[in-house]
Formats: sequence, structure tokens, C-alpha cells
Amino acid sequence: MGKDFHLAMECVSCHKGDDKKETKESAHAGFIAKPSDNLKNCGICHKKTALNYTNALHYTSLGQHEGVKHRFSAEELKTFDSKVFEQSCRACHASCGSCHVKSPPVGGITTGLLQGHKFVKKNEGKTCASCHGGRVYPEFTGEYGGTPDVHYQKGMVCVDCHKKTEMHGDGTMYKSKQEVKDRPQCLSCHKNRKYQIAHELHKDTVSCQACHSSGQYRQCYSCHTESGSTSKPDFILGLNPRDKKTLTTLRLIPTIRSTFNKAGIKMENFDALPNYWDSSVHNIKKRTERTRSCDSCHVAKEGFLKREMLIKDGSKANEELIYNIKPINK
Amino acid sequence: MKRMKWLKAVVIVIALLLPLTAMARGIDPLVSTDWLQKNLKNAKIVIVDVRKVEDYQAGHIPGAVNVFYGSWAIKKGDLLNELPPIDDLADVIGGAGIDKNSLVVIVGITEKVPNQFDMTRVAWTLKYVGVANVAILNGGYTLWVKENKPVSQDAVKAKAKPFKAAVNKGLFVDKAFVISEIGKATIIDTRGPAFYEGKEKLEFVPKLGRIKGAVNLPVGQLYTPEGLYKAKAELAALAEKAAGKDMSKEIIVYCDTGKTATAWAFIMTDMLGYKDVKVYDGSSQEWLADPNASIEP
Repeated sequence: MGKDFHLAMECVSCHKGDDKKETKESAHAGFIAKPSDNLKNCGICHKKTALNYTNALHYTSLGQHEGVKHRFSAEELKTFDSKVFEQSCRACHASCGSCHVKSPPVGGITTGLLQGHKFVKKNEGKTCASCHGGRVYPEFTGEYGGTPDVHYQKGMVCVDCHKKTEMHGDGTMYKSKQEVKDRPQCLSCHKNRKYQIAHELHKDTVSCQACHSSGQYRQCYSCHTESGSTSKPDFILGLNPRDKKTLTTLRLIPTIRSTFNKAGIKMENFDALPNYWDSSVHNIKKRTERTRSCDSCHVAKEGFLKREMLIKDGSKANEELIYNIKPINK
Repeated sequence: MKRMKWLKAVVIVIALLLPLTAMARGIDPLVSTDWLQKNLKNAKIVIVDVRKVEDYQAGHIPGAVNVFYGSWAIKKGDLLNELPPIDDLADVIGGAGIDKNSLVVIVGITEKVPNQFDMTRVAWTLKYVGVANVAILNGGYTLWVKENKPVSQDAVKAKAKPFKAAVNKGLFVDKAFVISEIGKATIIDTRGPAFYEGKEKLEFVPKLGRIKGAVNLPVGQLYTPEGLYKAKAELAALAEKAAGKDMSKEIIVYCDTGKTATAWAFIMTDMLGYKDVKVYDGSSQEWLADPNASIEP
């Protein structure tokens, strides 16, 4: 207890209430359960971090906003902002305590204090894994998909790649993670490796994970929809919707035409965005079916998005992601 | 006279080979927490902690390297707990600082099923690729902590060694092999009696039933109520009841996915001296999905 400066302070310093009162009711008058919901409380000591964090994507949840807003007309966007984003998406924002004191609530449920009431620097298994526990984290550990990421096998966890500026922000309010320049890149660590021929040939046209993803990862079909959620594992290769020229791993995201019906939003521009998005899947392996054999892609076309695979009544933009790979001219 | 000379030669050869036999196992297959504590500084021992990375980071046996269970057994298609490709396994083993002469102690947890069988699955896999001197920690990390033995939070970075697998193909067998041995080998179903009798099944196992002709030797019988392995004599009696007295007879063990069966395979081979125990890696998950496979009841 003594080593943690926070715990040297009185409880009321953060949680308010009155510890001099004799009854529970009077002592808890004005009690604040989660003091870090107000970043100014942490900002008293951690001024710069708290200030940066007010603009960080983990706090603003703007990535979710940016991810869907182009499907809306101007009027629909207003409805979305007031009826959906502020009331639903924004509820996911993490406060300081969500990562440093108590696991963040997911669906209203938290796994509790991380280590008593100690303030911990990091505990990925109980924090990152809570919010990113549907896709990224269980794929990373192999609990979903069945093959752990090679980095996890080597003892690495989230913050070994995702540095604290990614968590706390750098002070700029980004619209989405795509705008953030200082994000983990494979080449940051693997830049000194001598290129093999395959690397040299594919380096500008194929993402690293397209070859080095070990295989199936979670594809989401109807989360956030009226019909409840379903998912299944699959491996999908197609063109990156952000540049339409790089072959990469695609993940089916769950926004379908009826997703916002309850809010009265029909998504007039639904077809402006695809349902499949580039995903830096976290199930990397040194050797995969594709690294072992060129034929896996160039002959068998394994995993490639095909017209007949596209989801029913999906976005018209999905078709633009289909890539017809050619055989190798030997 | 000639016959006497021949007999003498045989006796001499046996006498010369006996010490080698003793050397074949440089470590008991089951080591106690007390033994491991006394041997923590033994440079020949590689302690391999197969728990999750986060759990290892929170605390581990001093000097233990972490090689998460998922590195040793992967999902292939629908089948769980399958062998990774040999070159991947060799990378994992060499990266942990293990070579074929290492004395390896596997550490996992024992409080949860099926995780308590991670240790024997890893041990069997190491034997499969040619690392003979493998032990598992009786009681695992669970007991180590319960006994308040020292723990460390300093992650150990192993000094990698080149490792070339020398595969013992007979230790893991596939469905075609099991089909070919029905009626010849003793096939042991190591699942609980209700599973063996076709009354229950796990969700991912396609249907009820067992391999035709299999006998039952549940893995639950291996342990005391405290979760430790029973004494050798008791285990020998249980094994003999199911597998018979012939230590050389071919035995094929299986379970739901090929993990828990390794517990009996390891004990029968490395503790009790059975000479020919094989693990059917696909196990019930694969066998019971095949409409043409021989099933009973």
C-alpha cells in the first residue's frame, strides 16, 4: 500500500463524501464512485496526460463515429449524433480508472478491481482484453482461432507494440486511428531483415498480415443489429477499401442496412462504404500456408473474397474489394 | 563351448548397455515442488512455464521461461489440440533454450480442467520431437503458490539454441492408423465413464459413443483429491486393469481432442514402463465425425 502514492491520500480526496460523518448515508452524501470519469481529478497531478487524454480516441470514441458516418445523409447524421452516438457509442469511452484501477465495464459488467485498489501501470489481460476481447485479444492469445500470435508466443503483450501515446493520445483530436501516424508498424522492428524474394515482390502490393496471418479470425455478422449477434471464424483476402490496391486481410463488420432502424435512420448512403474492412489481424505467424506455397494464393486462391461469398443484401461497395489473382508466369 | 562364448558375449553387451538404459532418463517423470525448489539453480534444468503470458508475468517460478501452451498445440480445421508443423515446433523449442539433452520440467496449473493436462500434452510433444528427459511438476504452479514457494516477476529470456527435431512418429497416430489397428492394439478411452458409455459428450464432439472395442481408463483416476498424481503402485494397478500385464503390447489412448489422454500416455510410458503407447491426436472429435468409423455402443 505504501508504495502507491494514491493510496497515501484520504479516500475522500478522490471519492468525496465526508469521512467524519457517523452514518453511511451522511458519509456517502456527494460520494463519487468513479472519480476519474472527470479527467480533471486525475489532471491535478497528471496534467499533461489528462489534457492529452481528453482528445484521445479511447476517450472520444470518435473512431466509431468516423467508421459509420459516411453512410448517413446530413439529416441522418444529426439524428445519429444525438440518438445513437452520445447515448450508446460514447458510453464506451474509457476513463483513467478503466485501465489503471478497475476493469472497464463491457455491457455493464466489469471484472472488478485490477489489484485491490492499487493504481496499476498496466494489466492488459484485464483491461485491453475487456474492450478488445471480442476480436483482437482472443485472436492474439489463440483462444479464438486456435493459433496464438507469434508475438504473444514470445511473451509480448499489448503495450509492447502499442505505446502509451496510443492510449493517452498526443493532444490532437483524431477522427480515427487511421489519422494517427505513430502506430505500430511491422517494419519498425523487422526493418533490418534481409528481404526474401517474396518480400521484395509483394512489399508494395500485399500487406504483411495477408501472408503472415495464421488463418481464421472472427468475422462479425450481425452484432448491434435487431437480430442479436453471431460470428464465425474465417479468413478473407481482398483489396484494402482504403486504397483499393493493396491486398490485405478483410474483416466483416456488422453494420447492415437495418442496424439503425430503431433510431429512425435508414442510411441513405449505405452503399458508400463496404461491409468488409482492412484488419490488422493479431494472429501473426512466421510460416503460414501462404508463406509455404505460392500456389495457395496464385493457384488455389484460398481465402480470396469472391462474389458468391459476399453477404446477402450487403453494400454495393463490397464488390470493389474482390481481387482476381493471376497465376504466376513461370 | 561355442554356445558358452556366445552367452558370455550377450551378458557383456547387456552389462555395457545397462548404464545407458539408466541414463536414458535423466530426471523423474514427475517431480515434486520440493525437489524443484532444491534444483532451481541446476543449470541443466530448463523450467518451462506453459501458462498464459499475463499469468507468467504476474508471477512464476524463478528462472522459468514462458512458452504458452498455444505454442505446443494448435487448432487445425475443426480439430483442437493438434500438433503444430514440426519446423514451428523446432523454433519454439530452440527458442526456449531446449536441446535434446536438456532436462525439462513443465509447469502449468492444476486447478482447472482441461488446463491441468497442458503439462502432459507438452511433455508428450517434447518426447515426440526427441527430447527424452521431460518431467512435469506434480501439483503444478498451483501447488507451488499454495506452498508459498518463491516466485519471480522477472521475465526470463532464454538463450536460444538450434533445435532439430528427431521425430518419434509412433507417439502420435492418425485415424487411418487407428483403423488399421482395431482388433490388434488395446485401445483406451481416457474420458469419464459417462462419455465412454455414450451417455454424455462435449459440445464440440459431434456425437455420443466410443471407438469400437475401446476399454475405459478415465484420466480422473490419475489424481488424489488434492490434485496430485496417485502413488506409482496404485497407478500401475489401474493401468494393468485396463491395459493388461503385457508391457510390450501396442496401446492407443484417446480422449476428446488428444490432450487429456496424454496424461495416461505419459504416466504409462515414463513412470510405469509400458513400451508402446500411442496417442490418437484426432481422438473423439475426429473419430465421431466420421460416419464410416466403427463406433459403439
